[in-house]
Amino acid sequence: MTENETKSSIRGDRDLANAQDIIVCEGVSKWFGDFQALNNVTATIKEQEVVVVLGPSGSGKSTWIRCINRLEQHQEGRIMVDGVELSNDLRNIEKVRSEVGMVFQMFNLFPHLTVRDNISLAPIWVRKKPRAEAEEQASSLLERVGIPEQADKFPGQLSGGQQQRVAIARALAMEPKIMLFDEPTSALDPEMIKEVLDVMKELALSGMTMMVVTHEMGFAKEVADKIMFMEGGQIVETGTPEHFFTNPTEERTKLFLSQIL
Amino acid sequence: MNLKNSTSQTQYEEEINVSTNSGLPPKVAALSPTEWLKANLFSNAFNSVLTVLSTAAILLIIRGLLSFIFNPLRQWSATATNMRLLMTQAYPEHQYARIWVSLGFLLFLTGVSLAFWRAGRRVQLSQVGKRLLAIGAFILLATLLAPFSSKATIIWLIVGAFIVGLGLLLKPAHEDKTISSLTLLSGAFLLAILSLWVVPYGHHSYLSTRTPKILAEPGTVAMTTKLPWTIMFLVAVCSYFLGAFIREKIDETRSKAVLSVTWLISPLFLLFLVLRDPDFDTGHLFSTDIPIFLFFSIVGSVLLLWLTRPDVGEKGRVISAAILFVGFATFLFQMLMIVRILTLVLAFFALAAPTFSGQKPARIRYAKVWIGSMVILCWLITAINTPSTAKVPGDFFIGGFAITLMIFFFTMVLAFPLGVLLALARTSKFPIFRMISTTFIEFIRGVPLITILIFFSVMVPLFLPDGMDLTEIAAVTIAFIIFEAAYLAENVRGGLQSVTRGQHEAAEAVGMTNSQKTFFIVLPQALRVAIPPMVGQIIATFKETGLLAIIGIFDFLYIARSVIPGQTEYMGSTRENLLFVSLVYLVICFAMSKASQRVEKRVGLGER
Ligand SMILES: Nc1ncnc2c1ncn2[C@@H]1O[C@H](COP(=O)(O)OP(=O)(O)OP(=O)(O)O)[C@@H](O)[C@H]1O
Ligand SMILES: [Mg+2]
Repeated sequence: MTENETKSSIRGDRDLANAQDIIVCEGVSKWFGDFQALNNVTATIKEQEVVVVLGPSGSGKSTWIRCINRLEQHQEGRIMVDGVELSNDLRNIEKVRSEVGMVFQMFNLFPHLTVRDNISLAPIWVRKKPRAEAEEQASSLLERVGIPEQADKFPGQLSGGQQQRVAIARALAMEPKIMLFDEPTSALDPEMIKEVLDVMKELALSGMTMMVVTHEMGFAKEVADKIMFMEGGQIVETGTPEHFFTNPTEERTKLFLSQIL
Repeated sequence: MNLKNSTSQTQYEEEINVSTNSGLPPKVAALSPTEWLKANLFSNAFNSVLTVLSTAAILLIIRGLLSFIFNPLRQWSATATNMRLLMTQAYPEHQYARIWVSLGFLLFLTGVSLAFWRAGRRVQLSQVGKRLLAIGAFILLATLLAPFSSKATIIWLIVGAFIVGLGLLLKPAHEDKTISSLTLLSGAFLLAILSLWVVPYGHHSYLSTRTPKILAEPGTVAMTTKLPWTIMFLVAVCSYFLGAFIREKIDETRSKAVLSVTWLISPLFLLFLVLRDPDFDTGHLFSTDIPIFLFFSIVGSVLLLWLTRPDVGEKGRVISAAILFVGFATFLFQMLMIVRILTLVLAFFALAAPTFSGQKPARIRYAKVWIGSMVILCWLITAINTPSTAKVPGDFFIGGFAITLMIFFFTMVLAFPLGVLLALARTSKFPIFRMISTTFIEFIRGVPLITILIFFSVMVPLFLPDGMDLTEIAAVTIAFIIFEAAYLAENVRGGLQSVTRGQHEAAEAVGMTNSQKTFFIVLPQALRVAIPPMVGQIIATFKETGLLAIIGIFDFLYIARSVIPGQTEYMGSTRENLLFVSLVYLVICFAMSKASQRVEKRVGLGER
C-alpha cells in the first residue's frame, strides 16, 4: 500500500510523456586497450526522469555513467547532454560538468576542507558566487540532507553515511540539472544505507533528473521510472520497474534477477 | 626485541588489572625506579650485559669529550674572543645598530606571533623538577669524571648541587601546578643575558691604523652587547604581551594572515637595512622608479579587473598570451630590467586571472594582490640598485654565521616555489613542460652540489654579457636555489602522486578548471604529505651551506677552520672552533626537526 502511494505521488506531479530529452546517447562505444567496455549503447533520458542502471559486475555501468560527464572519453558515437555535444572541446566539457552533479561510491570528499568549504568551494570559484551567499546555500543544503550541525567538521570526522550526504550536498550546490550516482551506498554499512537512500528519494521527489547505478533493488522498485539492464557493455533490456521485476523478456535479465533476488 | 617484548607485556598485564574498573580510562601505574630498571634494562642476562657494556662505553666517551674540552691546553678563548668574527666577519662596528634594529624587529614579530598562535604549552612543575634533578646529577657526575683543577671541581660541584637542590624543591609540587614552556625559555635567555653583565667576554678588533693588526680586547663583547641584548629581551617579552593583548580585540584569521606575509617579506626589508644605503638615490627614485611603478600598478589593476570578469572568455587568454610574448620580447631590446621583470610578472598574473575570477569583491582582492606584489618588487629592485654604505675590508661586507643564514634563507624562500613549479611541470599534461622539467631535475640530481657551486662561482661570471655582473655570493645562492629546487620538486612530486584519482575526479565533476583543481584541491593535499621529506631536505640544505667554505667564501665554517687559527694568538685552535661550530649546527638542526614534528601534528588535524 504505502509503497504504491509513494510511487504514484512521485509519478503524479510529473508529465514524463511530454518531457524534453536531456541525455541522448547514440551508438556509444568505448575500449580500454583491446577490451570493449561499452558496445554501441543507445539510450535517451528525459527531463525529471529517474533511471536506475542494473547489471552484473564489469558490465560497464560505471564506464557509461562516467562517460556522461566526461570522466571517461567515449571513442565512437555521440553523447548529448542538455543540447551540448560532448567532444574534445574544453568549453563544452566545463559547461556540461557544471550542469551534471556526480556522487561517487567512495564519496571523494576533499579531506583538507571543512564540510562547509567542501560544499561552497565550487560555487564560489566555478559559479562565481559571492562567498557569503555560497556559505548560506551550503547551510541550507546541509539542512536538506539532514546534517546541519556538521558544517565545521572535517570529512574524516564523519560517518560514511554522513560523508555521502555531504557529497550529495556538494553536487547539489552547483545547482545541476542532472545527478549521476555511481553505487552511492555500496561502501556503506547497512544501517547507513537508508539515510542516504532517503535523501535520494527526496531528491527524486523534487523533480531532479537522476541516473543511478545501484544494487538496491528496493530503491529501484520504488523510485525508478525506468530500469536499464546492462551486460557486456550493452543495454540488454529497458523497461518500467513493473515490467522488469515481474515479466522480463530477456533470458539474461531473468538469470540476473534469479541470482540477486 | 627483548626490551620491546617485556614492556608490552607489562602494559598488557596492567590493562588486564584495571579493565575490571568500569568508566574511567585505565590509569597506567607508574613503575618505581627499581622496577623500571628491572623491566627495561635488566630483564634477562643478555640485556644486563648489554646495559653494563653500553653504560661503560657511554661513560668513557663522556670522559674523553670532557677531558678534551677542559684540557688546560685548549684555547677556548679563541672561540669566545672571535665571536664577532664568527657571526658577521668584518661588518663595520659603527654600523652595528642596523643589525640590532633588524634583530629587534624579528624578535618583535616572534613575540607577537607566539602570542597569536598560542605557542608554548603548560609544563608541570614537578616535571621541571625532575629535569633539573637529572641535569644537576649529570653535572655532578661529569665534574667527578673530568680532570678539573680542584678549584674548578669545587665550583662545578656547587653549581651541580644547587641545580639538584632546585630540582628536589620542585619535584614534589602538585600536578596542578604548571608553568608555561615560554616562561621557562625566556628564563633561560634571561640567565644568558645576565651573564653578559657579569662575565667579561672579549672580542677581536681589526686595527687598520698604523700597522694593521688584529688585537684581542678582553671584556669588549660583554660591554658593547649587554645593553642591546637586554633591550632585545625586553622587546621580545613586551611584544608577546602586546600580541596577547590585541589578539582578543581584532579578527584573528585576518591578522594571522598579515603576520605570515610580514614574516615572508620582512627578511627582504631587513637585508636592505643591513646591507644597503639607507639614503635613497631620490633623484632616480622620483624620475624613474616611482613612475614605472605607478604605471604598472594602474594599468595592471585595470587590466586584471577586466580579465577576472567571469564572462571574458577566449579574448582574455589571447591578451594574456600576448603580454607574455611581449615580456619575453623585452629581453631582445635595450631596456630597464625593472620593466622586463614587471611585464613578465604581469603576464603571469593575467594568465592566472581566470582561475581567480568572480564577483566584484574577488576581483578587487586580486587587483590588490597585484598592487601589493608591485610594491614589494619595486622596493627590492630599488634596494638592489642602491649601493652599500657598509664598506669593509675584504670581498664581501658580511660573512660568518650571518652569510650562512642569509644564503640559507634565500635558498629556502626561492627554491620552494621553484620546486613546486618544477613538480607541477613534471606531472603536467603538456609533453614539453614534462620534458624540460624532467631533464632539469635529473641533470641537477646527477651532479654533486660542490660541482654546481664551483661552476657558478667560477664559470658563470665569465659567460655573462658585458655590463652585467653577479657577485660571487649571488652566483652561489643561485646555485643553491637550483640544486635544492630539484630535490624539493621530487618531494612535492611524491606528494602530488599521493593525491588519489578520486580527488581529481571529484574536482573535475564539480566543474573546476585544471588550474583551480591544482590550486585548491591537489596542491594543499600534496604539500601536506610532502612536509616530512621537505623538512629533511631543508635541514640538509642548512648543513650543506658548509660547502661554501670549500669554495673560499667566508662562511661560518671557513672562519672557524681557517681564519681564527691563522691569528697569531690562536695558532692551532682549529679543533675548539670546529667543536663550537658543530654544536651550533647541531642545536639549530635539532630545533628545526623538533619544530617540524609539531607542524606535522598540526597540519594532520583535519585528516584521519
Ligand atoms: N581504467 C580502466 N582500464 C582498463 N579497464 C577498465 C578500466 N575501467 C574499467 N575497465 C574494465 O571495463 C569493464 C567495465 O567496468 P565498469 O567499472 O564500468 O563495470 P561496472 O559495471 O561498474 O562494475 P561494478 O558493478 O563492479 O562496479 C570491466 O571489465 C573493467 O575491468
Ligand atoms: Mg562500477
